[in-house]
Amino acid sequence: MNEKPITALFKYPTVASFCLTASFWLIVATFMGVLLATMLIAPDLVEGIAWLSYGRVRPVHVNLVLFGFVTPGLLSAAFYYIPRLLRTELYSEKLGLITVGLWNIVMAGAVVTLLNGQTQAREYAELIWSLDMALIFCFVLIILNFALTVIHRTEPLLYVSVWYACAAVVLTGPTYALGNVIWQPDKGALAGIPDAILLWFYGHNIFGLLLTPLAIGVAYYVIPKVCKSPLYSHTLSLLGFWSLIVVYTHIGTHHLLQVPVPTWLKVIAIVDSVAMVIPVSVFLINIWYTAKSKLGEIHADIGGKFVFTGTIMYFFASIQGSMMSLPQVQRVTHFTFHTVGHAHIGVLGFSGMIALGGLYYILPKITGRPIYSRFLADFQYWLILIGVTGFTIILSIAGLIQGHSWLNGETVYRVLPQIHLYNVIRASLGLMIFTGALIGMYNIFRTLFYNPEETS
Amino acid sequence: MKMTPAAIFVGSLMILLAVIVVVVYVPWSTIDTAPSDIFRDRSPLEAQGRLIYKANGCVYCHSQSIRTIDWGLGAQRIAQAGDYIADSPVQLGSARNGPDLSQAGGEHPDDWHIAHFMNPRYTSPNSIMPSFSFLSEEEMYALTRYVQSLGFKDADVRMERQRYWKKKAIEAYEAGPEENIEWLHDHVPQGWRDIPNPYPTTAAGLARGHKIYQEFCAGCHSPIGDGMGPAQPWIYPPPFNFTTLKNREISGGILYYQIMNGITGTAMPYFKKHLESEKIWEVGNYIAVYFIDQSDANTEPRGIDASWEP
Repeated sequence: MNEKPITALFKYPTVASFCLTASFWLIVATFMGVLLATMLIAPDLVEGIAWLSYGRVRPVHVNLVLFGFVTPGLLSAAFYYIPRLLRTELYSEKLGLITVGLWNIVMAGAVVTLLNGQTQAREYAELIWSLDMALIFCFVLIILNFALTVIHRTEPLLYVSVWYACAAVVLTGPTYALGNVIWQPDKGALAGIPDAILLWFYGHNIFGLLLTPLAIGVAYYVIPKVCKSPLYSHTLSLLGFWSLIVVYTHIGTHHLLQVPVPTWLKVIAIVDSVAMVIPVSVFLINIWYTAKSKLGEIHADIGGKFVFTGTIMYFFASIQGSMMSLPQVQRVTHFTFHTVGHAHIGVLGFSGMIALGGLYYILPKITGRPIYSRFLADFQYWLILIGVTGFTIILSIAGLIQGHSWLNGETVYRVLPQIHLYNVIRASLGLMIFTGALIGMYNIFRTLFYNPEETS
Repeated sequence: MKMTPAAIFVGSLMILLAVIVVVVYVPWSTIDTAPSDIFRDRSPLEAQGRLIYKANGCVYCHSQSIRTIDWGLGAQRIAQAGDYIADSPVQLGSARNGPDLSQAGGEHPDDWHIAHFMNPRYTSPNSIMPSFSFLSEEEMYALTRYVQSLGFKDADVRMERQRYWKKKAIEAYEAGPEENIEWLHDHVPQGWRDIPNPYPTTAAGLARGHKIYQEFCAGCHSPIGDGMGPAQPWIYPPPFNFTTLKNREISGGILYYQIMNGITGTAMPYFKKHLESEKIWEVGNYIAVYFIDQSDANTEPRGIDASWEP
């Protein structure tokens, strides 16, 4: 009789429970996404049900994707690779489990409060004060756990993944507290234009200082492992790490180019948005050169396949993002679905794909046997890849139709019939992504709890 | 460079702090917070309506941020920093699945908003906005007060105009159909009243007019033009019944003017932002042919025939 893989829960409880957290909330988050897309083509779908109305479901979708799926998914991998890279044990699994428990309470609380209309009505900063504080507390616990693990390390050198994972949580803690204006518990906001500036400083840093560094950390761990080759360049790692922190933090105001904010701030935001090609290309060169002539190995490992695809998505998302920060481009794309497409290729295509890749890479390591079904994992890969790529292409097209029509003097109402078809395709692609999420949960669940495969 | 724990934990935080000073603190401390020319404080009811606006996520589809490049609703005034000084949080928005609402106050009378909140398809058949029929009567009233305050002092001027003409419109409606029709037409400038529809009636033109009618008019005036569309129960004076217009000397010009300019005070909006000239002529002729059964299309005086005419 084989050893039950359920031991992963006892040997790596924090890793396994963050993994389950991510795969569960991915289902809820993508279901909300499909629901929203369906409401755009059938607005009376849930008529009269307050808690399912579009404006209440929308922040649930966004918050669950960011904080329910991608962040825990990437943290799961980080909780695995940090002790391995430092040749030590995680400082405290108990602390890790408390973090996961509290994290899930915050997510459940987010669903309940947001659907109930309790929101601070600031995009990405909707959660009410008590949930904000609980999430910040989670970050403090993670910082402690990571820092103490670093201190107790037996490996003197800190590998680049460790830099990124530690910096992500250390920088996101204060950014989250500042961005959510936690010293104003009732409103969670400043007043006037400075509130918008702070909101987008924070909002963009959720991608720049949380999702991106965590995802890059996973990529820097998984790709060399899968390719069985050393990282291409230490110098590039350094350049990429510091330039990311310096450049990414400056660009939030590119969301406000058409708003009366100081011109010098817009100039900073645009210049740094274009300068994002530095950290992005440095990272990609480093990863892609590491993987050079090793694409067979990457293709053979489902985790590596997800992660590598995520790096390609990062390329497209970043190029598109830099372009969209140019005022001439933004005249067309601002306020349209184009931006929504960009958000999906960035968050799901890049950091979400890498989060899934991280999970699939570590699952065999922590259970000691292969994934329950490579076929299902591949099936999920294609569902999500086609879903998110198609989604971005369709919304980019629809966004251009909207933007050019508006510039041409057509009203928003007049353009709605033109984008209807795109919304139908959008909902269909969303259904593919949701199906992928269901398959992923099943596969991960079977791998952790009931996997008849031979020990690897 | 050797990456030590101190470099990662402290170094990255120092960078973050420096950036926060530059891109958050400096703008916050130097930005001009003087109110703009249209700014005024919100009434308690308007503030309560804003909470309902916030709670229901209106900001995800409606921006409050008019740009120099805009044409649509509210584009008469470009946003200024001084418009937002009391907004906490600001509701600038990041998407326009619906129109910008910066200057929505007074664009429509209250009864139009109530019908629209009950189900947006009642007034605007192509709308993708959710129904807000789940709001209580008080909540819907407060939300309406907030929407009607958007634009501050400019909105107040428009609201005063709405209320003034609402009273006149109700008086005319209650005086009976004869007086009502006379009142409605008296407001159309003489030049417009004298103009027949200059273009001939064609099957293709009527088909286009039919489509426009369904997308813009049927919610109030109903598919058969009798004014009993789904919005009717919430609107007073009720939507106009076109079938009463036969032999009332209706010209194409009168229809065109009323569609283009709307009838302030009643729920009839102006359509000049939505519809270009040809579309207005064709929907006007559709109403004349099908509901009034009397069209002056292509009668004298019509000037030189347009080159495309058959």
